[in-house]
Amino acid sequence: MTKVFRSVRFNIFLGAVITLASAMGTLIPQITETPEKVAQFQGVHPHWSRLFGFFNLFDVYHSYWFMGLLALMAVDIILCKLWSLPPDQGLVSLPPEETRELEAERHLAQKDAALKLKPYRADFKSAFPYNKAVEQAKKGLDQRGYAIQEDFFAQAGAAFVATRHRAQRWGSYLAHIALVTILLGALIRAVFGFVEMVPVIEGGSRAMQNKPDWNLFVDKFDIKYYPGTRDPSSYASALRVESRGKLLAQKTIHVNDPLDIGGVRFYQASWGAGGMFRSATLKFGDSVIRLPQRVLKKIPGTPLSVEADVMLPDFTVDQDGQADTGSLELKDPAVRVFFQMGPHKTRPIWLLQKFPNISFVENDDGILEHILRPPFRLVDVDPVLFSGIQVAYDPGFKIVLAGAILWLAGMIMLFYLHRRRLWVLVEPDGRASRVCVGGWSSRGPREFEAEFAALMGELRGGMEPRSDLLISRQVPAP
Amino acid sequence: MGRFCVVGLSHKRQGSESARGRLAAVAAPDVYERLRERGICEAVVLSTCNRFEIYWCDDASGEQDWERGFLEELAGVPIGERHDLRCDAAAVGHLLEVACGLDSLVVGESEILGQVKGAYEAAQAAGMTGKRLNVLFQRALYAGKRARRETGISAGQISVASVAAQLAETIFGSLSGSHALILGAGATAELAARHLLGRKVGRLSIANRTLERGRELASRLGAALVDWEQISAALEGVDIVVASTSAGEPVLRHAQVEEAMRRRSGRSLFIIDIAMPPNVEETAHRIEHVYLYRLLDLQGIADANLRARQKAVEQAQALIREKTEELWRWLAALEAGQELSLKHSPARP
Amino acid sequence: MTIQMVLIKLALAFYVGATALAVAFLFSREEKLSLWMLRLLGIGVLFHLGSFGVRQYLFWQIPENRWFFSINSFFGALSYLALAVTATFFIVEREHRLGILGAFVLPWATIGVGSAVIFADPKLEGLVPALQSYWINIHPIVLMTAYAMFANAFGVGVALLVQEHQIKSRKPTELCYRLPSIEELDTLNYKIIVAAFPVLTVGIIMGGIWAYNAWGRFWGWDAKETWALITALIYAGYLHMRFVKGLRGRKAVYVSMLGFASVVFTFLGVNYLSQLHGYLSGRG
Repeated sequence: MTKVFRSVRFNIFLGAVITLASAMGTLIPQITETPEKVAQFQGVHPHWSRLFGFFNLFDVYHSYWFMGLLALMAVDIILCKLWSLPPDQGLVSLPPEETRELEAERHLAQKDAALKLKPYRADFKSAFPYNKAVEQAKKGLDQRGYAIQEDFFAQAGAAFVATRHRAQRWGSYLAHIALVTILLGALIRAVFGFVEMVPVIEGGSRAMQNKPDWNLFVDKFDIKYYPGTRDPSSYASALRVESRGKLLAQKTIHVNDPLDIGGVRFYQASWGAGGMFRSATLKFGDSVIRLPQRVLKKIPGTPLSVEADVMLPDFTVDQDGQADTGSLELKDPAVRVFFQMGPHKTRPIWLLQKFPNISFVENDDGILEHILRPPFRLVDVDPVLFSGIQVAYDPGFKIVLAGAILWLAGMIMLFYLHRRRLWVLVEPDGRASRVCVGGWSSRGPREFEAEFAALMGELRGGMEPRSDLLISRQVPAP
Repeated sequence: MGRFCVVGLSHKRQGSESARGRLAAVAAPDVYERLRERGICEAVVLSTCNRFEIYWCDDASGEQDWERGFLEELAGVPIGERHDLRCDAAAVGHLLEVACGLDSLVVGESEILGQVKGAYEAAQAAGMTGKRLNVLFQRALYAGKRARRETGISAGQISVASVAAQLAETIFGSLSGSHALILGAGATAELAARHLLGRKVGRLSIANRTLERGRELASRLGAALVDWEQISAALEGVDIVVASTSAGEPVLRHAQVEEAMRRRSGRSLFIIDIAMPPNVEETAHRIEHVYLYRLLDLQGIADANLRARQKAVEQAQALIREKTEELWRWLAALEAGQELSLKHSPARP
Repeated sequence: MTIQMVLIKLALAFYVGATALAVAFLFSREEKLSLWMLRLLGIGVLFHLGSFGVRQYLFWQIPENRWFFSINSFFGALSYLALAVTATFFIVEREHRLGILGAFVLPWATIGVGSAVIFADPKLEGLVPALQSYWINIHPIVLMTAYAMFANAFGVGVALLVQEHQIKSRKPTELCYRLPSIEELDTLNYKIIVAAFPVLTVGIIMGGIWAYNAWGRFWGWDAKETWALITALIYAGYLHMRFVKGLRGRKAVYVSMLGFASVVFTFLGVNYLSQLHGYLSGRG
């Protein structure tokens, strides 16, 4: 059974399914992002919606089958990659000390045969006697940053392996461990963590849902705009968190600068105007009148009274012709007023702060009618703002971060380190000695060519050469 | 007034082969000796298998019409009217044409350039060149290079084997990392192998039905020998296959190639089938990453290249005309005692 | 702002010229074309950098923008992207003497700057509070550098398909002999992707860390995040197919091209999907 899971085909297929599922989640409206679009979709396509709902396609990323796929991927990575340690190509165990001299011939013959198969090969004769040649070879390679392994020495000959950047073979392994770690961190967050948006009116407070004992107080909410615009340049809340009357912590939080209480973090995520206002200021010719919300005030010098009841922060007319707000930001503040004279009430009129020449009359059904140039205008609105505090608890983040660091290390080791290995065979040749070297590179044949030639030239140079350096390249079987 | 002339026999003249053959056998120093006897101190002898020409500068005071007698003396046979004599501007033009390969059997061939250079250097060594010939020949050699570089007269290979070798490079880049397998041990097989060796192929292996011939070729080329029964297995480690056996039936079948490709995990395989009838099943070309070029494909490319070369001749001739005029003006001025300067003097070609 | 626009329009003109020369070089053997292509490209880059410099200076006139890169708008992003494509091309060309690949790669730089000039709004605004973080100098730059490298790989992939088609047709034209060999193109495509893949993944991770600091969650399956991940998954698939299965040639190129399609969608298409991350939503 595990054979299927371990096959490359299956894993590529699994990766493709996860990819497609992720893509689907960006194209189908998701409940967690845009619930209104989901509702809209369900209204327009009721049959599809039922099908989608069955597979939980309106919340793909939190559906059981999606999380199951991710878990399967994690398991697969462990099975395929992490179960066995990365191979260290070409290291063969040495014959034990005692039998070394006896085994020497056979061992050396084995080495020689293996050397013939390496992608690179070099041969030359050294004037140095056998022992010295071995010593020189090791010294030369050591100077070049190679580490010597599997050191075999007998009267009949010597063989050893020299490697540079041996660590490279861990690169892929680490990268895969990192992936599993990151998925683990995500799982921990999914199970133990929470995210909650808590809108708190300035000067007010609200309790959390995930931690009902905790109360958030926004004593002050500051917002600054870019000069001449309605775009905020910064906003901050003086936040106080209390649990059952006891103060836990307080801090003025800005965007990108949260408050942390034992892992639960409070972020200044957003803000808005909910519709409440402290006062709306109207101007009639020369006279100015400030109206608190839903308070009928008499206009001095006239028999009229006026009241402002509703505010919309970003006025827009929706497809039904009714008043609506485009967002919660104060992009286009509008206030609805009506006038009263005795028992007679006028129809409600919408005044726009940014566009004093335009206003709308609202009929009994709420439908708007455009009228021009009212003799009065809305000069200012002092809205009551709410601060959007995002409360998040992510116990898995540290693990994810550890995974990220492992990933970075894995990537660097895998792609930027160049692992090179040389198999060296030295045999006595009368009073001199013969040296054969086989070479291999983790980067594939052509990369190593020039360096191998240079390395061999250097090595031979340091051994009082007796013969020409013969370098040959063998194109290996895949 | 002195003149610059050229006399000689070339492949362009019918029936001149026997005379040319004899002239080719004459050693250049002998020719120079005889020319000196005649009072000619500036000459270059160009002797190749397709032409025998003497370029010289003299002072007009000498004998007229001595050339034919001279050639007949050298060759030892009568020449009749099969020789060509050109002087002054025509001689300059001819030298340039020869150097540019426009007078060769195969248009734009590069061997002639080396031959002209060799002839010039030999003449220099023999002390037979002076200012005029030095300038003329150096300029001609440079023009020969320019023509080949700037026009299409030497572009494109024109023999089947060289086309194949060039194509191999378009697939694999440098062939030093490639392993080529030659099926067959005949002349065409050897030619193809030599072209590949010329492009520095990394490894060469030979496989032939009769072991002895295969072994012989392998030792001549310094290649490895592969057992005929093992060629299917050998396909796994091979990048280029040259099929050139005289077998009547396909030696490599579609299924074999397909199997090999599977084991090679999709690395490109270039099969050059120059056997007639073809050695490899045609449908193998349809396999992904297999490039099967048959004799007719290679021949088609070679022919197209040759046609392209010939089209480029016009371009080259325009260049030659320009240079001829320039050099002739300079030569004439020199005779008149002036020395004009020539445009962009090149370093030693 | 006018100086900025003049400089970048000049840069665009030189890029168009360089691209035209690159395409001409495909069909002619005149070495001078390649030389002038590089020269025009270099001059274009200088003007481009000049325009960048002016834009930065104006950007920093708004105190809240100090000292951040002006990469928050479509204009700034496209501009940087084009610059990175050109820079990568220079590095690749220098190393491998592959001026002929200009015809396949430079169009992306030209399209980048052209789109910026024609479609994007060069207006300089103050950064929204969420972007006022040192991360804006790192995260988008890293990701867009990866995208630019993938654009280069795509160009190489197209060249590979052209070359492969030429040779498979058994009637190769002169272009076949001037393009690099199939093996070289395959290896180059692979190498660029190998270099770019870690950069992409590191960029995604940086985004996660920034998101954790700004919004409380490392990963929210937002459209931009998801599509960046999809891109990484596709290229990871390519690397696995190559490493483990030894996949080469045309099939490998198709996968890498699918990856690039994902890159384009991640950069452009997502803006139509996401409110949080999109350039076109106006808030950046």
